[in-house]
Amino acid sequence: MNVLVWLAAILFILMIVIGGKKGVRSFLSLFLNFGVLFVTIFLMTNPKNSPIVLTFIACTIISWISLFYINEKNSKTITAFISTMITIVILLFFIVVVTGKSMIQGFGEESTEEISIFSLYIGVNFVQIGASVIIMSTIGAILDVAISIASSMHEIFHHNPLISRKKLFTSGLSIGKDILGTDTNTLFFAFFGGYLGLLIWFKDLNYSIGEIINSKVFSTELITIFCAGIGIAAIIPIASSVNAYYLVKTREKVRAQESASHSK
Amino acid sequence: MFTTISHKKRILFYILLALCFVASVLFVSHNESFYERPIAEVIKTELEDSTPISDMYSNDDQLFTQQITALVKNGEAKGQLIHLTNEYSSSGAFDHEYKVGNKLFVSIKADNAQKGQLSGLILDAKRDQYVLIVAWIFIFALLIVGKRQGLFSIISLIVNALLLSFALDLYVKHANVSLLFVSGVCVLLFTGVSLILINGLNEKTYAAMLATLLGTFISLLISFFVLWITSENGLRYEEMQFLTRPYRMVFMAGLFIGALGAVMDVSITMASSMFALYEQDPSISDKALKVSGLDIGKDVMGTITSILFFVYICGSIPMLILYLKNSSTLGLTLSMNLSLELARALAGGIGVVLTIPISLYTSIFFIKRKRVN
Repeated sequence: MNVLVWLAAILFILMIVIGGKKGVRSFLSLFLNFGVLFVTIFLMTNPKNSPIVLTFIACTIISWISLFYINEKNSKTITAFISTMITIVILLFFIVVVTGKSMIQGFGEESTEEISIFSLYIGVNFVQIGASVIIMSTIGAILDVAISIASSMHEIFHHNPLISRKKLFTSGLSIGKDILGTDTNTLFFAFFGGYLGLLIWFKDLNYSIGEIINSKVFSTELITIFCAGIGIAAIIPIASSVNAYYLVKTREKVRAQESASHSK
Repeated sequence: MFTTISHKKRILFYILLALCFVASVLFVSHNESFYERPIAEVIKTELEDSTPISDMYSNDDQLFTQQITALVKNGEAKGQLIHLTNEYSSSGAFDHEYKVGNKLFVSIKADNAQKGQLSGLILDAKRDQYVLIVAWIFIFALLIVGKRQGLFSIISLIVNALLLSFALDLYVKHANVSLLFVSGVCVLLFTGVSLILINGLNEKTYAAMLATLLGTFISLLISFFVLWITSENGLRYEEMQFLTRPYRMVFMAGLFIGALGAVMDVSITMASSMFALYEQDPSISDKALKVSGLDIGKDVMGTITSILFFVYICGSIPMLILYLKNSSTLGLTLSMNLSLELARALAGGIGVVLTIPISLYTSIFFIKRKRVN
């Protein structure tokens, strides 16, 4: 039997045993997200479609699945969804500029041998695809921060319903700070684990620091890590303010209704 | 008293940071003399030719030729103009359109050395200034949002990167050291450095460290076992990029390090919340702790596993598109490009889920010890 089938089966069983119903949903959402990603890649092969627009739609669907399917639709997931979308739009603009300027799209010299059998003039816009790769690599982490901040802030608001908007915002920030360190860590190790072969290659071929930094593969790698970190940092104040705004707004609405019914 | 000192220190820190920023940006934009390869800055470009082309799979593209005049910035020919020809396509999979202001690594043709009339070939673009600027935006974003924690996560990134680089040096220089052993030692050090920097030295950190190490090693054992009984059926190592070493070892070591971050993330989240519950109510029963810990674990397992999935799979998007556009079948495209990525993501996911019960028990163990004291 296939390695992947085995690993998937083990993961599925573990998720059921430990997570129960939620585990099943988490596992299924991995597959749904994989499906969305795959359809997006397929659509990207048509040069008429803009990879950036496709990426934005894909991110919306992925966030939808991860937030509303695993955690059902409620005020927590709605605020998390809104904060994710705001962050994605801002990050998308930033990353498109960065990939355009730094010319990190497509394939580096190090892959020449591998891609030599292929036709490279395939009409799709690799600059935009480079930007989509970066943003899609980060979406998992962005969603993680969005949902963590939303649920902790709702919890704080629930225990402390009279809290001011500003205090609520600061408590959101301080929750975010804790996640910032661990999530950047997760991404960092995942990237370096994935590119261990590349690092050994550089060492084996005695690349100088200048050659490493300027090489397309390595600078792409670094810029992706940094952009991911910037994304995680950016969503913290965004999610904190969206949640603070929403929670205080609904409280005021409830109060207004109450005072209206009292005055009758 | 205390606040004034920390206030002063903070201002000093920001001034120092601003100085570093300005100095490094200035340095990188004028560092050509530190490179041995000739560097030229584009000062004029002219579009010479543009032809539509169509490859054998009837993909349409546009091919351009541009004439570039550039100024050599270093080496013997410093100050002279150089003429370069650049061909690029509108898709830009392996080529670039260059614009005025871009800096390029070039090779200068020796036979054509009349004064002011150099010609040569473009080797690659100089990217260090962009990497540096994005790095600074990253540092500022982490510091502004994360303050102290942001600083510590930057420090832990740097220390870990140096450790990894040092370990790989050792591995490359000493042929008889196993990569798996090297990465095992690295994992121990990474775990220590990251968790202590993120969380400080306390019982919470010890609980998280123990859980991280157990979780990573057990998930590695499981992956080994699966690879062994399936005799690695379904893994396409031949498409593994950048290889100068035995591919299997490189893959396993990468899997090891890749899973580590996610496992650490889960164990520190679990330990933090369980210790917080205990501190809020020191008389809380073990049973209640277990129930809440498991709830927290269920919440995070999906999102953290999906972080790994997206990181691994998205990296292969350009290659997948290249395969598909070159009329490769779906099955070949997927198995060639995604088997290793999926294996890494799944193994990491297994590590994440396994770590939930493990950190549940290590946290309870350390909380119990705290209770006795």
